Amino acid sequence: MLKLKNVRQCFMPDSLQEAVDILRDSQGKAAIVGGGLDITVFPRPYIEKLIFLDKLHLNYIKEKNSEIRVGATVTITDMERSLLIKNYLRGRVKEILGEVASQLLRNQITIGGSIARGHPYSDIIPLVYALRGRIVLSDGKDDEELLIDDFYRENFRELLKNKIVTEIRLKKYDDSYRFGMKRFVRNATDIPLLNVALLIKVEKNIIKDASISLGSRPGIAYRFIKGEEFLKGKKITKELAEDFQEFTEENVDVGGDARLSKTYRKHLAGVYSKNILLNLMEV
Amino acid sequence: MKVHYTINGEKKIFEIKPGEVLLDVLRRNGYSEVKGNCYMGTCGACTVLIDGVPHTSCTILAAKVDNKSITTIKGVGTLQHPHPLQKAFVEKGAVQCGFCTPGAILSAYALLKENPNPTDEEIKKALDGNVCRCTGYVQQVEAVKFSIKLLKEEK
Ligand SMILES: Cc1cc2nc3c(=O)[nH]c(=O)nc-3n(C[C@H](O)[C@H](O)[C@H](O)COP(=O)(O)OP(=O)(O)OC[C@H]3O[C@@H](n4cnc5c(N)ncnc54)[C@H](O)[C@@H]3O)c2cc1C
Repeated sequence: MLKLKNVRQCFMPDSLQEAVDILRDSQGKAAIVGGGLDITVFPRPYIEKLIFLDKLHLNYIKEKNSEIRVGATVTITDMERSLLIKNYLRGRVKEILGEVASQLLRNQITIGGSIARGHPYSDIIPLVYALRGRIVLSDGKDDEELLIDDFYRENFRELLKNKIVTEIRLKKYDDSYRFGMKRFVRNATDIPLLNVALLIKVEKNIIKDASISLGSRPGIAYRFIKGEEFLKGKKITKELAEDFQEFTEENVDVGGDARLSKTYRKHLAGVYSKNILLNLMEV
Repeated sequence: MKVHYTINGEKKIFEIKPGEVLLDVLRRNGYSEVKGNCYMGTCGACTVLIDGVPHTSCTILAAKVDNKSITTIKGVGTLQHPHPLQKAFVEKGAVQCGFCTPGAILSAYALLKENPNPTDEEIKKALDGNVCRCTGYVQQVEAVKFSIKLLKEEK
């Protein structure tokens, strides 16, 4: 079944400059290929050229300047199995990466492809949001580093007409930080109906800082800033978790779609936020 | 365009269309042991190993796999010389209609190469993308565990 009927040429560039040049010259008719999952499952008929990143050495995970730097072609499996991720935030990031989609799809989905596609139901986007990640883009000559908020606030699809995502940078957090994430799915290959990621800094039982993101709202993931402000300065207790559920249900920006009503998604967002906070109490 | 693959140890050169997925190239060239079904990466029937890693060949662009090594179920074992995993799947009733079986065995094979003594949870996780509508999965987990015993006996 030939889905990408109009593709006439494949490129395996040896340099970022070459890749960006082909992308720019193709005027919207070329697609960068990360894992290729989205490209093959949701083919776009106007695509005539495919640009593979496989020769660009973007398949690395390394530590530099107190950051974990993840190359764009790293797959979810590569990241899950990386020694740098093993103990990152007490292994909670590794745990959630191992729950995304199925083993077969985790072997294909790249981190760069997840960020660049900007799917509403991505698990990677709320994860990177909550971790205050930064996205590195290259125009072939220079790099531009954007906080994930700024990447999606700008018209990221416009940016990607002549730039390539090369790296994701995640800050290393000290032991005062705790992270948790939950995703609601019916089975391994189902796309999430809601996902909630929460990072908090706790000192002497007081939440000093918080970063929360919700995805599959059904819109693209966003930062729940009101929720972050609600938590800051409060003592982490069971009562706070209950109050946080109520606050989230009232204030979270989620909608309804064919798969889940708005009322149910709001309720779920509240319950998940509470449960993550309860889990983080026990850390 | 031309691609170079090593399939089950044999070097091959195929003519492909630039937008084709690996599944179609394999089946057109006689590898009918690779089953096609969902074309969305959701069922796992088309699983092959690419450089030892299990992938749904229906979502992998054939051009991306140029110069790589591909293993289909026939590269694991044959009717005449079945692999312990294949024997175990038969023995433990993990095969009924058989459509999902090559994919499930290839996922299990990759798991055991990396982790020869997996827990039940690890087996379930490794096979979570291989949907089976006949056996109900319990037998598959049993079969993988039984194959570990057979593999040890073989050594
Ligand atoms: C059946 C199924 C189940 C799924 N389940 C989940 C799930 O549970 N959780 C989840 O998070 N996601 C899930 N996904 C979504 C999946 O994560 C996205 O489709 C993701 O984009 C695939 O990554 P990829 O590397 O294969 O992307 P590709 O298909 O390679 O690329 C996606 C888009 O990004 C562009 N692109 C890729 N890499 C770059 C780059 N480095 N720079 C610039 N542009 C780039 C491509 O041109 C394309 O437009 C699922 C998808 C399917 C089909």
